[in-house]
Amino acid sequence: MRGTRATAAVLTAATVPALLAACGLGGAEETSAAGRDSLVIGVKGDQPALGVKRPDGTYEGFDVDVATYIAGKMGVPKSRITFRTTNSSVREEALAKGTVDMIVATYSITAKRRMKVTFGGPYYVAHQDTFVRADATSIKNVRDLKDRRICQVTGSNSWRRVIEERKVAAKPVTVGTYGACMDALAAGRLDAVSTDDLILAGFAAGRPGRMINAPFTDEKYGVGLKKGDLKGCEEVNRAITGMYQDGTAERLLNKWFGRSGLKLTTSVPQFEGCT
Amino acid sequence: MTMSPAPPAAPAPRTAGPGAAPPADPRRAGRLGTFLRGRWLKTIPGRIRAHVVLCLAALVALLAVLTVATGNARDSVQTIGHDAGPQVVATGTLYFALSDMDAQVSNILLIGREHDLGIGYDESLRVYEQRRAEADAAAVQAAQLAGRDPALKRTVQEVLDGLGRYERLVGQAMQLDAQSNHAPGEPPGQVVDAYRQATDLMRLQLLPKAYNITLDSGARVRQSYETKRSAVLAGRAWVAVTGVVALLLLIATQLYLTRTFRRLLNPALALATLATIVLTAAGTGLLTAHAGHIRKAKEDGFDSILQLSRARAISHSAFADESRYLLDPGRADTYEQTYLDKSLSVIYPDLGDKPVNLENYYAGLEQKAAAYKPGEGAVPFLGFFGDEARTAGRGREADALGRTLEAYRAVQRNDARMRRLAASGDRAGAIDVRMGRTSGAIRDFDAFDAALGALTAVHQDAFDTAIKDADGGLRGWDAAPPAAAAVIALLIIAGVRPRLAEFR
Repeated sequence: MRGTRATAAVLTAATVPALLAACGLGGAEETSAAGRDSLVIGVKGDQPALGVKRPDGTYEGFDVDVATYIAGKMGVPKSRITFRTTNSSVREEALAKGTVDMIVATYSITAKRRMKVTFGGPYYVAHQDTFVRADATSIKNVRDLKDRRICQVTGSNSWRRVIEERKVAAKPVTVGTYGACMDALAAGRLDAVSTDDLILAGFAAGRPGRMINAPFTDEKYGVGLKKGDLKGCEEVNRAITGMYQDGTAERLLNKWFGRSGLKLTTSVPQFEGCT
Repeated sequence: MTMSPAPPAAPAPRTAGPGAAPPADPRRAGRLGTFLRGRWLKTIPGRIRAHVVLCLAALVALLAVLTVATGNARDSVQTIGHDAGPQVVATGTLYFALSDMDAQVSNILLIGREHDLGIGYDESLRVYEQRRAEADAAAVQAAQLAGRDPALKRTVQEVLDGLGRYERLVGQAMQLDAQSNHAPGEPPGQVVDAYRQATDLMRLQLLPKAYNITLDSGARVRQSYETKRSAVLAGRAWVAVTGVVALLLLIATQLYLTRTFRRLLNPALALATLATIVLTAAGTGLLTAHAGHIRKAKEDGFDSILQLSRARAISHSAFADESRYLLDPGRADTYEQTYLDKSLSVIYPDLGDKPVNLENYYAGLEQKAAAYKPGEGAVPFLGFFGDEARTAGRGREADALGRTLEAYRAVQRNDARMRRLAASGDRAGAIDVRMGRTSGAIRDFDAFDAALGALTAVHQDAFDTAIKDADGGLRGWDAAPPAAAAVIALLIIAGVRPRLAEFR
């Protein structure tokens, strides 16, 4: 009897830690936006037609609809999505800390940001374009902004793209927000407002004026995810593919920007790849 | 998988409860009762048999987990090395071939009636046809990979349908071009308009889809790699656990026999123990090595090859943006911007606070890439080659990377020269730089392409070697574990038989 009992004891002693080790191999689950019951999604709160916080605390806009669609494809219904206003300056931090699981907020994919953030998408490639008064027919492309007064919004780089990158000698006029730029344009204190076409289209809705439809940059709006969340990123890309294939993308683009006179691209963008 | 067959030692003395059915055959019921009461365990032969049964059970478990783990290992090398892996790489050709088709068209329209400019009209047409065939072949691979995935299948179909439309649009542009018989760089408006329709279809719809096909199928390979690799590693843990259990049981048997029969060592059992150690060690060793091989094949091979094939496709597409820039002055700004964007995705030198435009790009590239020695120190740039540089080892890979970077700088110097001429109004000079046979833009680009090819070949070799090693390591592992287990089982039985015989 003693021999058998000793065997049993040795067996148990040897097996338990080893079994635990074996389980531990599969247990190292990283945090991914995929496979969640609910999602916290960062959006903008003050960008007309893209991300707007309504007085009742709910959100609306193209980005909000895109985020809702993507979350739905990932198995999270609308009722279990929490939208949170996430301003440009805190986006990387919010993803790293996990205060949001995903960001859909006119978040341009750049090489530098890709070092800190994993980007799904882009779900749309916006372009910098220019909005002018309806009677300003002589402005046909970015070069025609020479000697014109353009809007320089605090914290936005769009004016630099005209003056520094394109080397067009326009005159920047500092204004607080793009909404105020539109007012200034209508009042004749400015000649042109130049920034991402979707942002322009959102602000331009219901205002007189003309989109010149001469895009001169590519702004790849991506879905920001925590760095290293490849599984989440791949699922987001599949959701975006589905969004274009089933016609939802075209419907949403027309819903939010159809009346702006902007040329919309309704074919799936080239993804960046999950890294 | 149950690993720890609890020894049926529990001596729980069971008496038939009041609800038990009355035994039909008192003799059989008596034997069963004896067994359940564990009385057989109180005899020495009974205990020896119990030890043997446990040892054999552990051995069978070891054999089972080894079989499962090597099966997973075989699956992983099949997927990465033989099936999906190479197919995904093949779909990368689709983007390249499509992009180069459009590049050839823009070259033909740019040179107009000067059929000998650049690589020449006939050669451009020949390359166009060749790329068309390559695109078809790559689409077939992609369709196979798509399998039962409807979304991916649909994307492949959309590319093929779009390609048909593209060819019709190109046909119209070429016809108008031939009719106009224009001088190089001066295509009439209707040719440019026709080409715009074709190239917009290609660049805005077909190329993004082609790119996404490779990304999506690559994502599948990554997922199956992760799953298979963790299965192999988990299998290794199980092999180690069952091996140790079998080992402890064999040692316990040995100790029991030593104590009961006062003999120093049972040679057959000792041999069985030794063989178990060897089998377990060899099994875990094989799986460790295998996990290493597929990791190398995936990260140093597959990932890098895909990354570099994207870099190649995008560089070719950027090079074509140069001829589009010359072909369509109305859109020169747009094509210059796409050229810059593509160049940035290939190499993104740190520009500090300077505006991101081509002028600063050229300067940043010369400054950062020229000072960089592959394999040494921090990498001062991002982009495809930045990623490549960060993972590059020394030796052959570093040399090939160094040559590629140098050749890339030459390509960008030509670009700067061409744009300077075009901006100063010397379009003929700019066309001569880009298309001329003596000025070298084409020659330098070909040199860059060759250097990039050599760099890709380094990774292809690493991939092939790792897959060969993984295949080689698994060779013989169908037969070896069962044979070894059979030998061990025979040794155990041979070891205890003489002792049991003493009780007959």
